[in-house]
Amino acid sequence: MRDHQPYGKGEGRMRFTFTEEQNKFRQEVRDFLNAELKAGTFVERSGGLAEGSSQEFSRKISRRGWIGMTWPPKYGGHGRTNIEKAILVEEFFKVQAPVAYHFLCDRQIGPSIIHFGSEWQKEYFLPRFIRADDNIKFCLLFSEPNAGSDLVNVATTATKEGDFYVLRGQKAWTSSAHEADYGWLLARTKFDSSVPRHESCSQFIVDMKAPGVTIRPIINMAGYHSFNEVFLDEVKVDRKFMVGQENEAFKQIMVQMDYERAGMERLVQNYPIYEKLLNHVKEMGKTQRGDPFYNWARDVVAQLEIEFNIGRLLCYYTAWTIDQGRRPTSEAALMKAYCNQYEQRLNDLSTLVFGPASQIREGSPWALYAGEIADCYLWSPSYTLQGGSVEVLKNIVALRRLELPRK
Amino acid sequence: MEFSLNEETKMLQSTAEKFCREKSPSSFVKNMIKDKNGFSEDHWKEIAQLGWLGLIYDEKYGGIGGSFFDLFILFEEVGKTQLPSPFLCSAVFAGLLLNEAGDENLKKAYLPSMIQGKKILTIGLRNEQGQYDHPTPALDAQEIERGSYVVRGTRILVPYAHVADEIIVCANLKGKKAFGPTLLKVAGKASGVKKTLLNTLTGEKTFGVVFEGVKVSAKDIVGKIGQGGAYVDKVLPKVITLKCGEMVGGLSRVLTMTVDYVKQRIQFGRPLGALQVVQHYCADVSTFLDTSRMIAYQAASMIDAGLPCAKEVAMAKAWVSDAYKKSAQIAHQLHGGIGFAEEHDLHLYYKHAKVSELDFGDSWYQRQKVAEAMGL
Repeated sequence: MRDHQPYGKGEGRMRFTFTEEQNKFRQEVRDFLNAELKAGTFVERSGGLAEGSSQEFSRKISRRGWIGMTWPPKYGGHGRTNIEKAILVEEFFKVQAPVAYHFLCDRQIGPSIIHFGSEWQKEYFLPRFIRADDNIKFCLLFSEPNAGSDLVNVATTATKEGDFYVLRGQKAWTSSAHEADYGWLLARTKFDSSVPRHESCSQFIVDMKAPGVTIRPIINMAGYHSFNEVFLDEVKVDRKFMVGQENEAFKQIMVQMDYERAGMERLVQNYPIYEKLLNHVKEMGKTQRGDPFYNWARDVVAQLEIEFNIGRLLCYYTAWTIDQGRRPTSEAALMKAYCNQYEQRLNDLSTLVFGPASQIREGSPWALYAGEIADCYLWSPSYTLQGGSVEVLKNIVALRRLELPRK
Repeated sequence: MEFSLNEETKMLQSTAEKFCREKSPSSFVKNMIKDKNGFSEDHWKEIAQLGWLGLIYDEKYGGIGGSFFDLFILFEEVGKTQLPSPFLCSAVFAGLLLNEAGDENLKKAYLPSMIQGKKILTIGLRNEQGQYDHPTPALDAQEIERGSYVVRGTRILVPYAHVADEIIVCANLKGKKAFGPTLLKVAGKASGVKKTLLNTLTGEKTFGVVFEGVKVSAKDIVGKIGQGGAYVDKVLPKVITLKCGEMVGGLSRVLTMTVDYVKQRIQFGRPLGALQVVQHYCADVSTFLDTSRMIAYQAASMIDAGLPCAKEVAMAKAWVSDAYKKSAQIAHQLHGGIGFAEEHDLHLYYKHAKVSELDFGDSWYQRQKVAEAMGL
């Protein structure tokens, strides 16, 4: 193996600062968010990934040109860089702005349509996403009871009948299915057992209100209704809603996942907790300097600060990689695994520094920050599972980047 | 944010890569551990001719006036093969102290010959516990008559003292009028300088040096009396960052060696590297390398740009110390018995990781610096 060099072609001078233009842009985003916070549009609270959803809020973002920022102008995009996009997402998630209405479209549905969609799909969906129109909320219909990390095991079928495909099967762990207008679905379209499983699936856009779609909530361990079971009983989908080539779904999904994983949100969804922890330890320092517990807490915060800074560099490096026109496969996998684990440690250590009262959930006068720390600790196990488990991501680094053998 | 290197830097990198690979194979590094001198005079001359020793110094001293970032890239290459030489102690640590503190006469007298490789300098800044004690040095320089001082005390882990023309120390100067931590240069061959070779983990040449009443004069004082600690603090971030570069280089070699090994080692009828547990260990080391590179490059690039970066340097040393050590430990686990054998090369890096971790403050120490910079 050659020594791996992390850099590629670029303007040619390593620089870890932002340009004046980028700093101005960040300030513009901050000013917008501060005004919204002041107006009480939303509150800063860590927890689930982009749980807050508001079409009105998304419309405001759209009017500023902040949806589809990096997409081609041909479809209403703004042709800006992924570094700028990362700045935007960093600022949004630092204060947990309610971006869920358009976030999935912006992060991966739109880019997937740009990559693989038909001209009709591009013209129909992209401008609607960019405007944060009605009915653009998506969910991902990938996982099934017997297809989790082993996604090629999907059993849901799509059978061609004239101009339609008919869907039969069951999906599981579908986040926000109960609020979604569309589902981005993976289903088997070839039933010949001699064909490899990863060459027999296709992707579809499914109307979640269509006859035959039944959604049942799954309440998660944090007590929230975020994901669902979705049953598909003879659901008819017009063939124009098939995305890309028939039976090519896995090639498409691999690309799609690289972009799903490449975002800054993997690092900053618990930033409000980190800020509270930092301020708490600062306060402790005023009265408890020299106390062994304070010394420990100070050390903890310094370590988290280092880890956060590194995660941030990895995120910007991944964004930069995309701007260079490269697919960030191993970069995004490595970055997401690192960031997920950082956030888990953060949430665990917060409970230890804040102490036993951190277990009290919202609704009690003794709850800290309205139970936010307890909530975050409960959400934590999901980070290293969603969007590819840490183990799957390490496989990608090992096989793709280090080129270790499969057998 | 920009992560590419310019053509000039890439050229330097490729020259350095070739030089280190050709001149410093592991057999050579191992020979040098047993060698009395501990490094090759020929290499030293070549390094000087390549301009490496003067890379960051002003042209008026015979330097190149190049960028600190390029020097960092050089050290990454040096770290890959563990090329032994007094590069860091002479051309970086001691040289930067003279450059920072010395007056023009002193700089003209020493920097050009240091840059040409004709004079070798080193630093004696660590007390008998191996700690840098420049703010309150346990080394005295007592004024015995006007402008004449006697140095007493002990310094350990003084690199390449056996070949050093001058040892820069920070002594607690006790003058009639002025006092405090002060930089002094002491001739390596001065009477009363007793050097004992230390047998350390890496075997790189380093010494305990006892100053048994060594006479120095006012012209040996480097910079202002009482400011010695401040000069060292000013220079340390640069030295630490280059050390991080060297460590990142070592870490990258640990990953390369390990991945190559698990690809070719057959057990259970297949390469070790096909086992998922082994793949995950390798992915962990790969992550340690990427993260270390990012945080160390950041420090180097900020120093290069003249930006304040005390926190960034401390973050780099804290993280890279842990990452390099853990990677070397994982590498040993994956290499099994052969990695534990002296004939193998892996232990060079395991040892280098530990010694580097212990130099300039380990991760705990550096985290305290980070906390300070955060206002904690």
